[in-house]
Order: sequence, then C-alpha cells, then structure tokens
Amino acid sequence: MSNHALTLGGRRNGYGLFLALCLVTFVNLVPLLWAVLTSLKHPADAFTIPPTIVFEPTLDYHRKVWFENDFFRFLTNSLIVSLSTVAISVPIGSFAAYALSRIPRRSAGPILSVLFTIRMFPHMLLAIPFFVMGTFLNMIDSYPLLILALVAINQPFTVWLMHGFFLDIPRDLDEAAAIDGCNAWQAFRIVILPLARPGMTVAALFSLLLSYNEFLFALVLTGAKTKTLPVAIASFGGEDVSAWSLSAAGAIGIMLPIVVIMVILQRHLVRGLTAGAVKG
Amino acid sequence: MVRWQRSLWLFFLPSFGLLALVLLWPLAYAVYLSFFDYYLGAPERTFVGLGNYAGLLGEARLWNSIGTTLIIALGSVGLEFLVGMGLALALYRLGTGARVFSTLLFLPHVVTPVVATLFLKWMLAANWGLVDATLLTFDIEPPDWLGSPFWAKVSVILADAWIFTPLVMMVLYAALQGLDTAQIEAAKIDGASDWRIFRHIIVPALIPAIIFTISVRLMDVFRFFDVIYVLTGGGPGTATETITMYTYQLGFRMLEVGKASALGVITLIVVAALLFTINRTLTRIYRRGDQ
Repeated sequence: MSNHALTLGGRRNGYGLFLALCLVTFVNLVPLLWAVLTSLKHPADAFTIPPTIVFEPTLDYHRKVWFENDFFRFLTNSLIVSLSTVAISVPIGSFAAYALSRIPRRSAGPILSVLFTIRMFPHMLLAIPFFVMGTFLNMIDSYPLLILALVAINQPFTVWLMHGFFLDIPRDLDEAAAIDGCNAWQAFRIVILPLARPGMTVAALFSLLLSYNEFLFALVLTGAKTKTLPVAIASFGGEDVSAWSLSAAGAIGIMLPIVVIMVILQRHLVRGLTAGAVKG
Repeated sequence: MVRWQRSLWLFFLPSFGLLALVLLWPLAYAVYLSFFDYYLGAPERTFVGLGNYAGLLGEARLWNSIGTTLIIALGSVGLEFLVGMGLALALYRLGTGARVFSTLLFLPHVVTPVVATLFLKWMLAANWGLVDATLLTFDIEPPDWLGSPFWAKVSVILADAWIFTPLVMMVLYAALQGLDTAQIEAAKIDGASDWRIFRHIIVPALIPAIIFTISVRLMDVFRFFDVIYVLTGGGPGTATETITMYTYQLGFRMLEVGKASALGVITLIVVAALLFTINRTLTRIYRRGDQ
C-alpha cells in the first residue's frame, strides 16, 4: 500500500475527507436500508408523513412472499438457469482462452477485437430473432433457450477475462509437458488448468452474477413455468402501494445471496472488473 | 514451439461454434427479417427491401427516442464519471479504511438491477415514498419524480448513476493503485501543486482506464433496458423512451418484428459510430497532452 505517498493534503484534510466519505456512503446506501426497513414494516407504518423510523418489526412478509407466493419456484428457476450457464460458459470459455493465449499475438489480436465487438451488440437486437426462432421451435418458456442465450452473451467476456490469466502461465510448462509425452488435451487438463483456477473463479463469479441478474432475455424467453426471480419481482405489485411490504421482502430476498457472495469474493470481483481496463 | 501447436484450433471449436450458432446466426436472421414487413403470428411476410428503414427514419418517434437516449446517456455517463473519479481519488487519498468504504460504496452495483430500481421507485413514489414524505414533512412541495417528462428523465439518470457509479469508481480506483508513486513523490518535492500533479501525472496515467470505462458505460447505456422498464416503462408518454425501449415496444408489444429488427440494426450502427468517435477523440486528446 502506498498511503504515505499520497497524503497530498495533509493530516487536517484527512478528517474532512473521512467525514465526507461517510456521508456519501450513507446517502448511497439509504435506498437499500429503506427497503430493508419497509420489508419489516406493516403497511400502516410504511405510508406515513413524516417517514416512520421506529416501529414494531415483523418477518411476516418475508415468510409470505416465499411460502405463499411461489418465490421458491422462481428461485429454483433462477438457480437452474444461472448454474447451468456457469457450468457451460466457464469450461468452453477456458478452452478458447487457453488456445488464444498460445497462438501467435498477431492472430490473437484480431480475434480479441472481434470478441470485444460482439460484446457491444445491443442485446435487444438479439432478443428479437431469439424470440421469433423460439416461437417457431416452440421453445419459449423452456430452460435450454434462455441458458443458451445467456452463455452466448457471456462468452466474449469470459474468454477475454480468462485469456489474461492464461497469458500469465508460462509457455515453458506446455513445452515441458509436450516433452513428457502429453498431447494438447493432456497438457491443458493436467498441467495448465490447475494453475488457472483463480481465473476460473473470477469467470464463474461473473457468469453467475450476469445470469442471476439478467432481465431482458429472461423476460422475453420465459413464461409462467420458467420465470426467474428478476422477472417475477418486476411483475409483482410495483404499482400497488399496499403490496410494498411484500415486494420489498421479495426484493431483499433476491438481493441477499448476491450481496453475501460479493462481500466474500470482492477481491476476485475487482480483478475481473479491471481486467479490461488495466491491461488496456 | 510445441509440436501440437497446430491442433490448438480444436480448443476454439466449442466456444466459437456456440457463438456462431447462438449469436451470429440470430444476428444474420435479424438483419434478414429487417427487410420484411412481418407481423409475428401473421401467416405471410412481405419483402419490403429498405422500406422498414425508410419508414423508421421518417418517424418523429424514432428521432425522439434517439434524442432521449443521448440525453440519458450523456447525463448519466457524465455524472458517473465525475462522481466516480471524485470517489476514486478520495479513496486513494484516504488510504487506510478505503477497503471498507469501497465495499460499501460498491453494493448498489451488485444488487440485481431490477431490484435496485424497485428500491429507487419506492423512494421516489409520489407522497408515500421516502423522498416525498421527507420533503412534505418540511412543507416542501416535491416535484412529480416519475410523472413529469423532465423529472422522469432526471430520475432515470439518477437511477443509472446510482447503479453504475460504483463500477466507474472501482475501475478508476484500481488504476490509481497501479500508479507509479515515485513520480508523484518527485513532483511533490519539486513543489508541484495537487492540481498539477492530478492534471499532468495522474490523468495521463489513467487514460486507458478512462477510455475503457467511458466506452463500456456508453455502450451499456445504449442497450440499457431493465432500469427504464421498471422505473418508468418509457413514460410518461414517450418522455423516457430510449431506442432500446422503443425496439422492445415494437418487437414484443406490437409484434412488428421486421420493423423492430430494422431498429435494432440502426442501434448497432449508431453505437458503433459513437464508440469509434469517442475512442478517436480521447486518444487524440491523450496524444496532445503528451507533448
């Protein structure tokens, strides 16, 4: 850490900065905190002027949303979709990323640019043909189509990200493996892959986040049977104020697992976010 | 060179095969559909050539949606960049404890966007939302956050900024941590002011990260859908209807998939042109700063 190098202002400024950051952080978190409070309130406490801060908390709405409103089914759908996406996306992404890191730079460069371009496609442009094809193939409201779509929109980023990690693994290892009689697959599987585990963790984390949070494809490709959590909560009493406590409870439930995962794995998350930026 | 170098292309096969099948083929199909007058569910489709494009370009609603997209894009990306840069510098300067702040500040970005937007919607709801209830307590008449064309745009920009500023902050903060501190120390010893250090050492070193965040954010704003869908649905009227929202309305509400595909292709062209311009401009500024 380089703290001392950057006390540009000096001690006195330090406290001001600290207080300002506390204030910004608090304001930033007010919507989250308020939603947590709302989910623990009876509607009578939720609609008051001035806003009620002290009230008798209740977990009733959390219980209701999960046990009486099908949210368990939506959670199951979300888990099936996001875990399958990770299970397909990370392995095939790592194959491609490995090969990309082992071919000459002048061939890898254009491939990376193409991947970056694909990443920028407006998703809406893909959602339309998906919807049309899905309708013809009678695959709307089934898991495979949504999973395929998510794997595909995820793939450019996954390959891009893992490519950086494979580049850090020296080529000498491939050559040593070759001399020991490994073929390409064995060298990859036995020698390289175990070293790429941190990269795979980051890639898996991002695929998971993306597929758990994804809304557009989930909205147009799912139906009553396969609805995921974001689609369910969006269509669930956003308008009706009396349903607030219930929707807030649902929303908090959707948010919690992600927040826990993210706080535990923040280090990996930051590594993934900055992979594109720092390497240029 | 390893002897099986030549068989490496096999490793590309699953990934690129899938991309071709699931991304490029549908994309080509969308371009193909954009030449037809095609209502999903109708038995026939008629070839109209560039008719859909011509029709769209003559439409006030399309230009309105492009204007709205630009206002929202510039507003939110500008806000995100300024606040994100401020926060990144603050964290960098704070040193100790920055980790705790960065985790807390980052939270809104990991929350499912639909959920985060619902939180904001509840905050901004007329009368009973936290913002209005607080203002009314002090007898201040609040604006109609989601119901007036002007404030609805402001609300969308604020929502986008709330969700994505943490991302900008994190990328810039990580880039700051990679800076060469010796150079800054030397400048300080030579008596350079904070501003000059920022302007002549920190900013040039951050250019790759800045280009990266601005381009990524801009292309995301153009396809950004969940926040507007949940917060305003494109309303009131078409006040917050971006190109993406309009495409959604065309394709999935009116089922005019031919026209919607044409609009998707137009979006792609606009985004590509915009990104190209931005990259060139920023790179030029960067080069000029160097001399």
